Amino acid sequence: MTLLPDEQAKKEFLERVRTALGRTEPLKHVPDHPSLKMELPQQEQKVRTIQAKNEARRERLITALLSRAEQMGWRVNRVPGPEEAARAVAEIARDAGAKKAARSAQDIFKRVDVDGALRKMGINPLVLASGRTRHRSQLKGLSFEAEVGITGVDYAIAETGSCVVIPRKGLSRMVSLAPPVYIALVEPAQVMESLDDVFAIRRMQYMQNNGRDTNYMNFISGPSRTADIEMTISIGVHGPGQVHLIMIG
Amino acid sequence: MSEVKSKEFQSASKAALNDKGLQRLLGRVVHGFADLRDAAVEEVTEPVWEQLRERARSIKQQTLANLDYYLELVDKSVTRNGGHVHFAKDADEANKIVLEIAKRHDVKRVVKSKSMVSEEMGINQVLEANGIEPVETDLGEYIIQLAKETPFHISAPALHKSREQVSDLFHDWLKSQPTNEIEELCRIARDELRDKFATADMGITGANFIVAETGTVMLVTNEGNGRMTTSAPRVLVTLAGMEKVVPALEDLATFIRLLPRSATGQRISAYTTFLGGPRSATDEDGPEEYHLVLVDNGRMNVLKDPEMREVLQCIRCGACLNTCPVYQKVGGHAYGWVYSGPIGAILTPLLVGMDEGKELPFASSLCGACKDVCPVKIDIPRLLLRLRGRATEGGNGVKGSAPWIQKLMVRRWFSSVKTRQAMNRSAKLGRLLQRPVARGGRIKRIPLPMVSGWTQQRDFPALAPKSFSEVWRDSLDKP
Repeated sequence: MTLLPDEQAKKEFLERVRTALGRTEPLKHVPDHPSLKMELPQQEQKVRTIQAKNEARRERLITALLSRAEQMGWRVNRVPGPEEAARAVAEIARDAGAKKAARSAQDIFKRVDVDGALRKMGINPLVLASGRTRHRSQLKGLSFEAEVGITGVDYAIAETGSCVVIPRKGLSRMVSLAPPVYIALVEPAQVMESLDDVFAIRRMQYMQNNGRDTNYMNFISGPSRTADIEMTISIGVHGPGQVHLIMIG
Repeated sequence: MSEVKSKEFQSASKAALNDKGLQRLLGRVVHGFADLRDAAVEEVTEPVWEQLRERARSIKQQTLANLDYYLELVDKSVTRNGGHVHFAKDADEANKIVLEIAKRHDVKRVVKSKSMVSEEMGINQVLEANGIEPVETDLGEYIIQLAKETPFHISAPALHKSREQVSDLFHDWLKSQPTNEIEELCRIARDELRDKFATADMGITGANFIVAETGTVMLVTNEGNGRMTTSAPRVLVTLAGMEKVVPALEDLATFIRLLPRSATGQRISAYTTFLGGPRSATDEDGPEEYHLVLVDNGRMNVLKDPEMREVLQCIRCGACLNTCPVYQKVGGHAYGWVYSGPIGAILTPLLVGMDEGKELPFASSLCGACKDVCPVKIDIPRLLLRLRGRATEGGNGVKGSAPWIQKLMVRRWFSSVKTRQAMNRSAKLGRLLQRPVARGGRIKRIPLPMVSGWTQQRDFPALAPKSFSEVWRDSLDKP
């Protein structure tokens, strides 16, 4: 049985906050804030402006993304099309000595035939999604066994060299996390200039679906790392130590 | 609540100063962090950095001013996301809530990613006492958990441990082969913790920020343990101080630009994780149940206190520790509680009470380096000074005040510098009086009752044989 919050304690807590701030009544208006006062139509307009701005300078953003990503520790590869992308994925898996490569069940794999390319190299493709594996609880175990994880992304951020991955049906949280090698497949239209762009889009999406998403999301900005022992960088702790960004087109 | 030993600051800091191994590590590591931070700030350029700091300060300040509104909004948003929001008055209440959640799910093992508020609560001891195994999964936290210690540094909890010490700890607890390779030590921890992630029933995280409008919790990590903790177990609990709120998602961009740069000199950390509820019906994985526990534990009094409120802007980056000449020498444990360095010297007396923490505001030279690096522009020296005032004036419910002899001396000093003539007279008198105790330009000990305490911890600079104006006059006299 779920522990439900103590509503009385909650009420009293908020009352104490109000008193601490010297107020006797709850605030009547939304506090002045540049985002909060924007309703959905305005937010959608803002996002359209962002998209147009990024569309107009797509090529420059891609160059900026790839160079920043490389600085952040990604191994970067730009390929002309889906066929080359599939081959690049398979070569990375082969070089990593992989026997099993896990991927998500996203649409991008309909265009990029990763399974075929992997099989040609004698590597077992493993689709980590419910319905494909026998049971949800197996996802974790299977992701721990795979040597390579492959996913598409939602966005890539030129400012920070990050790939934005939003888990959902067909995309387990574990594929980009558990295997020691991770490959992100990125398409040109997904490249955003800045953190601000992505947060504006996410706010719009949140308003559109009224919080029905889990809103789980990761910005992946290079390999897993630690400096917790003597401030010496060590790569690949709980997440992948080797990360590849493949730009398709 | 976790144990407070801040009263022992003087003896603990002396012990740290005499620990040669610790001094070696401190010198290298703490300065290293400060240098990395400076380089990262230089890259974004000073004017841009200044704008970011100003924006961050303003967001935090305005959110705190309307915290009642925003906390209610957090409650609404997380509930809409399918999670549960609890409000806890103090560490005990927060511990009870977490323990009850764990019991209801028959939890045997908990994986934790880093949370400073959980250190305040001392949740690990509470879980252990109830037969539940807590496992810290941040490498640094894991090391100090094995060593049964508290964090030495806010962003690098085990920075006082050498590789040899870590190897010994792993050998003792995990039966691993001794090694001097840091890579190998990381691998040992990874393998050990993989098992824990695979089998834990519950995850506990902290929160760097909570977005009120969407109920989104943001976590900044590098190792991936935060992602594991939020993905693998079936129940997830986030613990956060009540001041962690920002209004909207778009505010996070500013803080992502400031936090990793200030903490470790990184442009962005390897992982920035966002969560805010259980998994949806169609999600492949993630927790089935989600709880957010917002903790007061002394913060309400700070919010109420207009002089001190700005300390709630703190985003726990640790930049003030790295740049502090006191922290650089005495390290984190001397401060005796969860938070160390300049920010710890403010937070400890405010959160645990002046009685326990009144030593700490004095552990500062007031050089102001902390204020210069603070990404949210907290005026740390001003707050330290005010707390010193309260500690001696008897503010904050503390009895007693400065000893009469000290008051008398300050009054005497004031009248002796009021006029030019008075100052010249007292300088002459001073030079005469210091003769028996001044050696090599310093007074190391004043052998008088009541005032000997002044020189117990520090030397007093002796008056120069000639004042500046005397030297000036003499040199003019010469041809």
